[in-house]
This record gives sequence, C-alpha cells and structure tokens, in this order.
Amino acid sequence: MTEGGLVCLALMLVGIVLQMAFGPVCWEMMAWPLNGLALLLLLTGIALMHALRGRIALFRWMATLHAGIPALLMCAMMTILLGVTRQVPAGHVSAEPIGITSMLSFWPFVLSYVWLMLLVGMVCASRLVRPKKQNIPFLLHHLGIFIALVAGTLGSADMQRLRMVVQEGKTEWRAVDDHHRIHHLPIAIELHDFSIIQEPELSFSSDVTLHAKNGIIGRDTVLVNKPLSAKGWKIYQFSYDEAKGNQSDISVFELVRDPWLPVVYVGIFMMLAGALSIFLSKKW
Amino acid sequence: MVTWNELWLFALPAIICWAVAALLSLRGERQKAVYLFTIVGLLIFGSYIAMMWISLKHPPLRTMGETRLWYSLFLPLVGLITYSRWRYRWILLFSTILSAVFIAINILKPEIHSKTLMPALQSPWFAPHVIIYMFAYATTGVAMLLSLWQLCRKQEQMTAIDNLTRVGLSFITIGMLFGALWAKEAWGTYWSWDPKETWAAATWLNYLIYVHLRQSRPAAVTPALLWQVICFLCLQMCWWGINYLPSAQGASIHVYG
Repeated sequence: MTEGGLVCLALMLVGIVLQMAFGPVCWEMMAWPLNGLALLLLLTGIALMHALRGRIALFRWMATLHAGIPALLMCAMMTILLGVTRQVPAGHVSAEPIGITSMLSFWPFVLSYVWLMLLVGMVCASRLVRPKKQNIPFLLHHLGIFIALVAGTLGSADMQRLRMVVQEGKTEWRAVDDHHRIHHLPIAIELHDFSIIQEPELSFSSDVTLHAKNGIIGRDTVLVNKPLSAKGWKIYQFSYDEAKGNQSDISVFELVRDPWLPVVYVGIFMMLAGALSIFLSKKW
Repeated sequence: MVTWNELWLFALPAIICWAVAALLSLRGERQKAVYLFTIVGLLIFGSYIAMMWISLKHPPLRTMGETRLWYSLFLPLVGLITYSRWRYRWILLFSTILSAVFIAINILKPEIHSKTLMPALQSPWFAPHVIIYMFAYATTGVAMLLSLWQLCRKQEQMTAIDNLTRVGLSFITIGMLFGALWAKEAWGTYWSWDPKETWAAATWLNYLIYVHLRQSRPAAVTPALLWQVICFLCLQMCWWGINYLPSAQGASIHVYG
C-alpha cells in the first residue's frame, strides 16, 4: 500500500510539472485517428506488461489491491476536489493559474484516472487469461468500467454537439458548435411547425422533414426526450424563441454524433449485469 | 385528492405500527407479530405515496420532500430485510427512528410543489432512477448506522455491514448507470460532470474503496468503519448537500425544489 501511495504522489507531481510545462490537457487533439492510436498503445502496453509480469515485479504488483486501493483513493480525492471547486464552462481557460477550475483538463486529474484504468486493465488481463466461471461477475465489473471509461474518454474528442436554428417553412443544412464555428452537415432539417403542448404534460414539439444529400429521409416529430436518429446523428429538441412562446416561428435543435457510443454502451451494460450478479451470488 | 396536509393521517399509524414491531423485536418475542406490524405500517405509508402519485399525476420524486417520502418507506423495509436475515433485535428501532425523523421533517417543513413537471423529467427512466437511488440510500444508511454502533459498542457487525454495503453499492451502480442512459436520451451526453454527477462518482469511488479495503485488509476494522462514515457523508453531499454547496450553485441541472 505504501508503494501505491508513493506512485500516486509521484503521478501528482508529474501531472503538476506537465501542467506547468505544457498547459492543460488538450482533448481536441485526441480526435480520430490519434485516439485510435492511443487505444492501440494502451491495449498493447497492457498485454506486454502482462506478458512480462513473471520477470518484472512492478507489473505483477500493478494487478494487486496494493496498487489499486491508493489509485482509487487518488481518483476519489481528485473527484471531490472537482466537486468543491467552481468550474469554468467547457472550452474556457481556467479562472486561476493552477488549472483546477478546468479540472477535466487538469493533468493530475487526468493522470489519476489513466493510472486507475491501467491498473484495472492489468487486473482484467490476469483474469482473462485463465477464464473461469466464478470470474464472470469480476470481469463484468472491471472490464465493464474499463471499456466504458476508456471508450468514453477517448471518444469524447470525436463527439460532435451542434446547434441548428430552423425557421418554419425553411430547410437548414448548417449548424454551429460551442465555438460558433459553422458546420455543413450531410443531413438537413425542414421545419413545418413548432408548438408547445400543454396537455397532458408540458412538452415542446417540432414537425419536421429530414433531408439527406440523395433525397428525403422522412417526416417525423421531435419531442423533448424523443430524439430522432438519421445517418449517425441524433436530433434533439433543444429550444425555441422563448419570447414568442407558442407563436415561435423558429425551433432550435441539438445534433449529436458520437461514433464511440456503442462501445461505451457495451461497457455500461456489462457493469449493469455485474451489479445484478451480486444478487444472484450465493455468498450473501 | 391527497395533499401534504393528509401526511400525518397516514404517517402516524405507520410509525405506531413500526414502533410496536420495533419494541416486540427488541424484547425478542412474537416474531410473526414483528413482521405483521412492520408490513402493515409499510402498506399504510405506501398507500399514501400511491395516492400522492395519483393526485400529482406523476411519481412523487421531484422535490426533496417527495424523495424523503420514499426514504421513509424504504428504511423500515431495509430494516425488516436485515432483521429477517441476521436477527438484529434493535435494527427495527433504528430504522423506525430514522424514518420518523424524515417524516417529521416533511410534516414540519413540507416543501410543496404543485407546478408541472419540467419536460426533461417526463421520461420512463425517471421513476426507476430515483427509486433505485432511494433504496441504495436506505441500505447504505443502515450500513452506516451499524458502523457507528460497532464503533461505539464494539459489537461485531462486519458481516452485515459488508453485505449491506455490497447491496447498496450495486444499487448505486445501477442508479448511476440508469442516470447515464437517461441523460444520453434526454440531453445527448451520458456523463457531463454536472455537480450531481461528480458527487455521485465520488460516492461510488469511496464505496469501491471500502469494498476493496475489506478484501485487502480484513483485519483493519476501525479504518473500514470510519470509511463507512466518509462514504455516507459523500452520499449526503450528493443527495442534498450540493443544493447548499457554493461551487454547485447555478451549475447543476439536478435542481430539486
């Protein structure tokens, strides 16, 4: 455990040095193909370290609780630090010189989770090599969080969230991102009507036709909680002209594309299965 | 139409039933009566929640006061499950007192909200997400009470604490992941480090530390018991503490009334 604590302390220091030398973590750089490369590197690294565990004591130790508990503790402390500091909005520069108001790009925060995932990867490798029935719940928990967190983090740079404002009767192909950059999309939204529904429950609804370059995709209704899907994009009802209310002649949509999502879902459903397996186990 | 004004009409008989069951179990007699009184109390209180549900036309889960109702219901339930499993005579007294405290808060300081549910909450994910979390809060709450009991009275309770924590952690995991799936459906991202999500992650990590610590150092009992208290404090921050946390003001989409 002491070694684990020392490694975590060293990682913190490395993180602070990196933060001072290179500034905050630049997540936008991690977009495809760099994130694919990082994934390959991570998996190969884990496989190699696992293969060498017989010769190198450090790699053996990495798959033990002596390494894991201090790593969990470091992640918990960094997360609590995130919880008690007021964060600047995403994409903004931190409000103080250290960088903790932009925690998701703060090197020590990122490194603590990377270290934890590396250890989880190592422990999964050691259990995967000798597959046993009683290892299934263990693997569901550990491999699940590994897949969900790694895919979610690496994939975050590939995720696009755009806003599209459409006027009634018009067809719109362009959308803007958080930095007000205009993107031309492979799909377009034609808005027929926007309305506010009062009964049975308050909701906003847009009657739309979706277009693709090669023709019409179809006509449908977008509601809050009921997004549409087309060509890898999800279309959410986001806003409207609040000054005009029900008379609003515009509707604002949020368009989201997240190519890594299916992988994240695999991890999430593995974790759910793992959580349920605890009720089936004979132990308790 | 049932309103907060009728709460005491149901809560009082329910608490009396639970108290009778608690006293009977404390004296170690009449086990059937212990079950009977607890269940009757649960039915009475449960029917109030059901009637609130009907008159509100949505599950009563929106405000702090409404989630407290579920907590008050689940505490005696978890207490009874623990009792049936490990035969702790005093557990029902604990769960009854804690439940009564939450009911008293609701009667003395009701947070009445008759406004329409915001659109993002009109989802099939809503009820399971919050009910699972309330059950997890109740389970881990009992685990924390047992920890305090063992810290003060030096009576061995580790098996029960470990089991309740494992069940509670499973429910926390399920509640958190349901939240993520719902968030994806409603807002387009499964995890956005909103203050509520951040504290949910911190709570989850701390309970993971407890579980792994128990595995790694079973003999280190006192640190584990103290860690239970830290976990529970994290949970309280996640549940209602962030409503008062300066760093979370105006930054959370999880704003209860």
